[in-house]
Amino acid sequence: MKKEKLNNLAVAAIICVVCICLISVMFMQFKTIEETDITDIENMREAELRQTLAEWKSKYEETAATLEDTNKKIAEYKEAIDKDVKASKLIDEELEQSNLAVGKTNVTGEGVVVTLDDGEYEDIIAGDLIYLINELKYAGAEAISINDIRIINTTYIVDLGGFSYILVGDQRLEAPYVVKAIGNQDYLTSILNMKDSGFIDLYKNDDKKVKMETSSKIQIPRYNGEMTYKNMQIKEEEK
Amino acid sequence: MIFIAIIVGCLIGALIGLNSPIVPYTYSGYLAIAIIAALDSVFGGISSILNKTFDLKVFISGFFGNAILSILLTYLGQKLNVDIYLAAIVVFVGRMFNNLAIIRRYYLAKFIKYRDEKKNAKEKQN
Repeated sequence: MKKEKLNNLAVAAIICVVCICLISVMFMQFKTIEETDITDIENMREAELRQTLAEWKSKYEETAATLEDTNKKIAEYKEAIDKDVKASKLIDEELEQSNLAVGKTNVTGEGVVVTLDDGEYEDIIAGDLIYLINELKYAGAEAISINDIRIINTTYIVDLGGFSYILVGDQRLEAPYVVKAIGNQDYLTSILNMKDSGFIDLYKNDDKKVKMETSSKIQIPRYNGEMTYKNMQIKEEEK
Repeated sequence: MIFIAIIVGCLIGALIGLNSPIVPYTYSGYLAIAIIAALDSVFGGISSILNKTFDLKVFISGFFGNAILSILLTYLGQKLNVDIYLAAIVVFVGRMFNNLAIIRRYYLAKFIKYRDEKKNAKEKQN
């Protein structure tokens, strides 16, 4: 009997220990689940989010770097374009100046109009025109035309057909000859009107008729012909 | 006496469990498997008591051995990247249901027997 009771007591004690173990572990588990469930899952999510955030950050940095590079390139290109634009502007201005100087543009400005006409016995000859044009150039004329034919550096003036015609740059002209010149009015008039030696005075006692007018708005057309040069070439500058 | 021991054990266990520190989340899975194994052992013990084949040594060794083995298997599964704990849960819970069925049948049979006896007694009285 006593032994059985002791045995029973031992069994009870062992069962008690087992219960303690089981229940304590169970409650521990309940507690941990209850307290860490949400926060830990959130922690996991946070870790994931952090990783993705880091990935995005690195991607963003890469993209920012490429953007910077591209911006730099754009700036370089813009600079180059600016330079080109400036250069082309300069070239344009130069071209304009050249055209103006050569006579490829219609021009207007103050100047004089000299009209030469044949007299009753004497005709105007090429020499008269050449002399007049030389005088005008001496007086600083910037653009000259005879009967609206622009005089350029290659224009020639020669007599044709027994002084009845004058050939001016491939074109046959007849009297009256209207010579227009743009330049400083004062210089032009003073040179032409110079006493005795001036162009007007030279023909004062002549049969040929010479008349001079001034105008503040003379229009001279551009040179119509072609400007081709066959023989002369640009000399390459030696280094 | 055993009932008193069970109740006292449960109370003490609850107190210890409530005052214990929190287990890290990563280890709570092992703990859960251990609990399932222990519960399986408990139900197996009860059913064996009802079948009058209860052996304390078997019960104790099953209780702790199963818990520790299940934890080890779960750890191994995690190392192998195989969810062995699922198999453990299936086995333990299946056995738990088996044992619960045995317990249920035992008490059902007892109840039916008791009712029949009562009926017979009434008929005899009549």
